[in-house]
Parts: sequence; structure tokens; C-alpha cells
Amino acid sequence: MSDITKKKMEQIAQMWNARGKGLITHMALEIEEVSSEGVRVRMPFNPDFCVDADQTLLHGGILTALLDSVFGLANFVAIEGVSTMATLDLRVDYLRPAYSRADVIVRAHCFRKTRHIAFNSGSVWFEGHENAEIARGAASFALTRGGTDLFDAMTKGKTS
Amino acid sequence: MDVQTANANVSRVPFFRFLNFEIRSLDNLHAEAEMTFDDRHIGNPVMEYYHGGIIASFMEATAAIAVQPDFADVPAKPINLTVDYLRPGVKGPLFARANVTRKGKRMASVSVITWQTDREKAVAEGLYHFLLV
Repeated sequence: MSDITKKKMEQIAQMWNARGKGLITHMALEIEEVSSEGVRVRMPFNPDFCVDADQTLLHGGILTALLDSVFGLANFVAIEGVSTMATLDLRVDYLRPAYSRADVIVRAHCFRKTRHIAFNSGSVWFEGHENAEIARGAASFALTRGGTDLFDAMTKGKTS
Repeated sequence: MDVQTANANVSRVPFFRFLNFEIRSLDNLHAEAEMTFDDRHIGNPVMEYYHGGIIASFMEATAAIAVQPDFADVPAKPINLTVDYLRPGVKGPLFARANVTRKGKRMASVSVITWQTDREKAVAEGLYHFLLV
């Protein structure tokens, strides 16, 4: 993460911690790696996200939510001066049934950014099984620049 | 299957309880459901909008129920999805209607629409594919 400034890393940690409520807090996401090449995030196993009574099969929807969240983080890391970010569209392929109680790892990056749009892709697998992806996703985000910085809005509670 | 039985099935799925929704109507090719807003659904804590992933999950759940109302025994396997986000989902109830556009022997294609106060003002639209074998 040498290419990411210390200030940016502090901002990311602060923004993540400022989310007192909401899905990202509930998913208990842990940022493992951050660089301009992308981000790697861990989601601990949570029985609430399962579909079966035995609680061993994750619902695809939580993987979609995970990808959406981590795309947002990848954009925040890759793009300066964004005031709002909204998902335009999201596409997810479920490559295998998500049968495991292992932690979920997701890797995502912003592969193209323009003034108005960011394009993302990412992969999801169970820890230790990187060669057996369970989902892959792609998304585009609409960006608004100028005005209140997204970081300030997130941490100081200002609306933009 | 009647709505009451389907809702009893919904209440047995941990993730469906997390989403907190109820089926409102159900027939061979359609399902309609209503999700109750909760803090754990928030994606943007400043504006208190629904998380896009929660909206997509709710749509996927409604689509799966439309395809396989007896999902508790034989769940439809999701293959992939595409979601178009049209408006922010604000604090309050969210409605979804799933239409099975094609159901073959092996595959089903389902389109889903979500809205809040006005059915004509969609929050999101999605297309979901399921494997039935």
C-alpha cells in the first residue's frame, strides 16, 4: 500500500469506523489490503446471511451486497474529490454454491474512472480457496464531484 | 401455494428474516412482497438510503419465490443477475414485484421491479436467472 498516502489510509479507517449503523457495520467488514490496484476485504462468516436451516449456505444476495460495498470502497481509494457515489448498475455471476462457514474474501478494483462514471469489477471466494471463486461481479457508479467531500459527509454527518 | 404458507417458509430462512419482508401476493408466475426498513439495511448512513445490495437481495428473494413457491424444499439455484438502480431507496417500506418471463425445464428468467410510494417510479429493476435442476 505504499502508493496510498498515509492521510488516505487514515481517512478510510475513519470513514469505515464512522458507520455506526447500516449493512457494512453488520457485515463486520475488515479491510485487508488497499492500493491503487484495488482493495481486498474480509467478511467473517455470519449465520444471519444463510438460506438453509443448518446455516452453511450463504444467500447470493449477501455476496452481491458485499461486491457493491467493496466497489464503493475501491472507488473512494482510486478517485479524489468525489462528493457522492451511486450505483448505476450491477451484474453478478454466481459461479458456485456458497457452501462454507469460512470467511469470505473479496477483491475489487476500479478499472476505469471518468469525470462522471467509475467502472468496477471484483471476485469473491472463501478464505483459502482463491482458485474456486464463488462469485464475480461488475458495476458502474455515477460520481458527483465538488461540494462536500464524501469523506467529510461520512465522518461529520453533513448532507451533501 | 397460499400466501400464508409461503410466509411461513420465508420465516424459516435466516437471511429472509434479516431482510424482514412479507409476501403480499403469489400466483403461478408472479410474487409481490413488502420489506420493512431497518437500520441494518442502510447503505448511505448520512442520507439513510437502502444499501444497493439489500435492494438486490430483496429482489432476488422475491424472484426466487415467484419461480419456486415451495422454495423451502427445492430452492431455485440463482445463476446471475443484473440490476439497474434508478432512484435512491429512502427510509420506509420497499415493494417488489417479480414476473417470471420464462420458465422452462432447466432455466427460468425473472424480471423484478421495486418501488416505494409510486409503482410508476421504480427504485430499481432487475433481471434474474435461475437453474431449476
